[in-house]
Formats: sequence, C-alpha cells, structure tokens
Amino acid sequence: MTEKAKRNYTLKVWRQKDAHDAGRMAEYRAEGISPDASFLEMLDIVNEQLVRKGEDPIAFDSDCREGICGMCSCVIDGRAHGPGAATATCQLHMRAFEDGATIVVEPFRARAFPPVKDLVVDRSAFDRIIASGGFVSVNVGSAPDGNTHLVPHPVAEKAMDAAACIGCGACVAACPNASAMLFVAAKISQLSLLPQGQPERAARALNMLKRMEDEDFGNCSNHGECEAVCPKEIKLSNIARTNREFIRASVCSDE
Amino acid sequence: MGWLFRTLNSSIGKKVQMALSGLLLCGFLVTHLAGNLFLYGGREMFNHYAKALEENPLLPAAEIGLLLLFLLHIATALRVTYGNKRARPVAYAKTACAGGKTIGSATMVFSGLLLLAFLIVHVKTFRFAPDRSDLYAMVMAAFQNKLYAGFYVAAMAALGLHLSHGFWSGFQTLGADHPKYTPWIKRLGLAFAAAVAFGFASIPIWASLR
Ligand code: HEM
Ligand code: SF4
Ligand code: FES
Repeated sequence: MTEKAKRNYTLKVWRQKDAHDAGRMAEYRAEGISPDASFLEMLDIVNEQLVRKGEDPIAFDSDCREGICGMCSCVIDGRAHGPGAATATCQLHMRAFEDGATIVVEPFRARAFPPVKDLVVDRSAFDRIIASGGFVSVNVGSAPDGNTHLVPHPVAEKAMDAAACIGCGACVAACPNASAMLFVAAKISQLSLLPQGQPERAARALNMLKRMEDEDFGNCSNHGECEAVCPKEIKLSNIARTNREFIRASVCSDE
Repeated sequence: MGWLFRTLNSSIGKKVQMALSGLLLCGFLVTHLAGNLFLYGGREMFNHYAKALEENPLLPAAEIGLLLLFLLHIATALRVTYGNKRARPVAYAKTACAGGKTIGSATMVFSGLLLLAFLIVHVKTFRFAPDRSDLYAMVMAAFQNKLYAGFYVAAMAALGLHLSHGFWSGFQTLGADHPKYTPWIKRLGLAFAAAVAFGFASIPIWASLR
C-alpha cells in the first residue's frame, strides 16, 4: 500500500485553564498528518508535541472512539461534531479537511454545560435529567415471557430509533437557543412508546421537562439544527411527540 | 389551579401559547386580507364592506380578542426569546448552518419586532384616523406617501419571512406532526406566507402607482 501524502493544518483551539478563566483562542500547527488519522488522533499528535515542548496539552473528551459512548464533543468549524452527517467527532477523519486548511475547534457552549477545561465541558445536566424520569420501574427477577408485552413492529422501530441517542449533547451545542429538546425528546419517546414505559408515562414527561428547564437549557424554536448534527440521526418528530406527551400529561393526567 | 400556572409557565407551555395565538392570528390575516381586496372593487364596494363591518355589533368584541391574541403572542415570544439568549452566555467564534435553520427561523424575533412597529403605525393611521367618512379615499391618500407605502411593503416582507417558519413551527409545537402530512404543512406554510405577503403588499404598490 502506498503511503498517502501527509497534510498540514492550522488549528485555532479554545484554551481555558478552568471554569474561572476567561479563555481565549490559541493557534497551533498540526503537521505531517495522515488523511486517514481521525480528528482525535490529530489532536493526540498535536498534544504529544505540546507535551514535548513542556506545554499543557489540549484537554478534550473521548472514550470509545467508535461513535457509541457519546463522550467526544467539540464544535469544529462552527458545527457540532464537525462536518459530515451522522458521525461523532471520534468518527471524523482528517480527509474531510483540505490540506492547509485552518480549523476552528471550540467546546460545546451552553449555560447548562459549564466549562471544565479547554474543550471539556460538564454535561452532567443530562444525567440529572435522566435521573428525574428517564427510567422504568420494573421488578427484576425471572425474565418475562417474550410475548407478554406485544409491541407492533413500526412502534418498536420508532422506540429503537429514539433509543439510539448516545447523550452526547451535540443537539444542545448546535441549537441557536442551547435547547436540550432533542435529547429529552429522544429519551421520553423511547420509553413512552413502549408498554413498559406506560405506568410512569405522564410523570416522566413532566419531571424530565421540568428538570430540563431548571438546568437552564433554552426553548425549542423548531430550527432543526439539532437533527442536522445529531450523530444518531434522532428525528424532530420526537420533539413533536414530546410536545404531545407534555400536553397530554398536563391536561389529561392526574399528575 | 397550580397545574395551570405551572403549565402556562413551562417551556412547552409558553411555546403552545405562542403557537395557538400565532395560528389564530394567521386566521385573522385571511379575513383581513379578504376584506382589503375589496379595495380593488372601487370606492363604492370597499366603503360598503367597511360600513357593514363597522355596523356588526360583534366587532368590538372581535377587536378586543385580536388585541389580546397579539399581546399574548408578543409577551410569550419575548419571554421565550429572553430565555433562549440567556441559555448561551458565551457565543461561538465560528458558526455554520448545519442545514436546519432558515432565514425565516433565524430572524423570528426581528421580523416580529418589525411587525410590531408596523402594527402600531398601521392601527394609528387606519383604525384611529381622524376622518373615517370615506375609508377608500383615506387608504388611497395614505399610500400616496411613497415612504409609508414602502414601509408597508417592507413589513409585509417581514410577515412573509415570519410565516415561512412560523406556520409550520406552530403545528410542530402543537404536536401535529406525521410523515403523512408534515411535508404538506411545510409546503402549505410557504404558500400561505407568500400569498399573504404578496396579497397585502399588492395594495400599497397598486395604490401608489395609480
Ligand atoms: C400578524 C402577526 C403575527 C403572526 C401571524 C405571527 C405568527 C407566528 C407563528 C405562527 C409563530 C410560530 C409559533 C411556534 O413556533 O410555535 C410565531 C412565532 C414567533 N413570533 Fe410571531 N406572529 C405575528 C407577530 C409577531 C410579533 C408582533 C412579534 C413580536 C415580537 C412576534 C414574535 C415571534 C417570535 C419571536 C416567534 C418565534 C419564537 C421561537 O419559536 O423561538 N410575532 N409567530
Ligand atoms: S439527540 Fe443526538 S445530538 Fe442530542 S444527545 Fe442524543 S445523540 Fe447526541
Ligand atoms: S468517543 Fe465515544 S462516541 Fe466519540
């Protein structure tokens, strides 16, 4: 196999020591980068150079590096998870950027995602939303018979599509209002569509949406930027469903 | 009553109020435009229509209802917009459109505020005009002022922009969404926005060119 021509880039990266630091953009050179390197591997290479020079490496989040954990983040050239449809930052490759390009890398920005360091923000607001209702209460023990709960196939598909959300927060980062509606809608939809989710259906919708507001996320204006950047292609129709769930829970339930 | 207060002050609750008031205002636009088009029928026809409208005993109630719809829409829109600005205290250095937002959706508060300014001037010139004996003549005279006619046309462009997103958005907010008909609501919204904007704007253009 022939070696592909290496590429050089200029990076403009947000550097911020801690939550109290004002932060600023810093410029770095990324040189001799293989087009087959992933974006995060490119950052690793830059960081190795920084460490060798005795400088503080750029802090960024990642874990699985295969698009399933939701840990990686970053707004790259103004787009959450960078260019490319249905991919997380860890699935982005340097071949997506022309040789010599200047790449702007920023953290997810939202009042509800306070900065930790550089590109790392605190997304635990999502955990608190889940804890407020993103679960079903069932007795564990012997496995129930497979046909106890009948789920029509199209409904199962919708629930599975919603369940694909990895909780990365790109929807919040991309939303002009820093709204978390797509995330919350995915979680509410996933459970409200299935029989197991029925007993807590109304309380779940009200509690999760209340928690979302208390965490200082914005409101949904139906722009659809969230859907466009979502690495799991969560659909806006989940937000419409959540609006229905909220209206139903507010007007027709005992909650 | 706690539940009602909670619902109306919630994020989706505010959006629902904005959507309902906005869509009802769209209904008002249809009746208002239909009435205005009588201008094309000449002085007698328009003044006859205006007289019938003013003699309708339900008109004051309808006007108060309309005012309340506007106030509700504007109040919730401003509350929602304030919350949205507050939710992102630090702006991005670089932003790109990922393919969701449109010029219409990104400018809702600006097109809305221009409409508000227009509404104040509009109600003052026409609804509270000093001499209301010949409304046809009054409208025609007002549009002889090119600046006023231009402002009217600009406001109708803003209305078209507002509704290019608002119409569909209202349905989405109310949860009326399904692959069976959502593409049609989007198309209908664009057609409605264009029809209303051109319909209203045609009158000052026609009147000032006559
Ligand atoms: C004839 C007048 C108007 C009509 C027919 C109208 C209609 C609508 C509709 C249907 C929506 C969509 C609601 C939704 O997204 O659920 C909307 C949104 C909005 N309207 Fe209006 N509107 C009018 C005047 C105004 C005025 C005077 C303002 C002044 C501030 C305004 C500000 C807004 C804003 C800011 C939004 C979007 C907020 C968001 O979703 O983030 N509108 N309008
Ligand atoms: S909805 Fe999509 S963008 Fe939002 S948290 Fe889930 S996977 Fe990430
Ligand atoms: S690191 Fe796990 S999804 Fe990107």
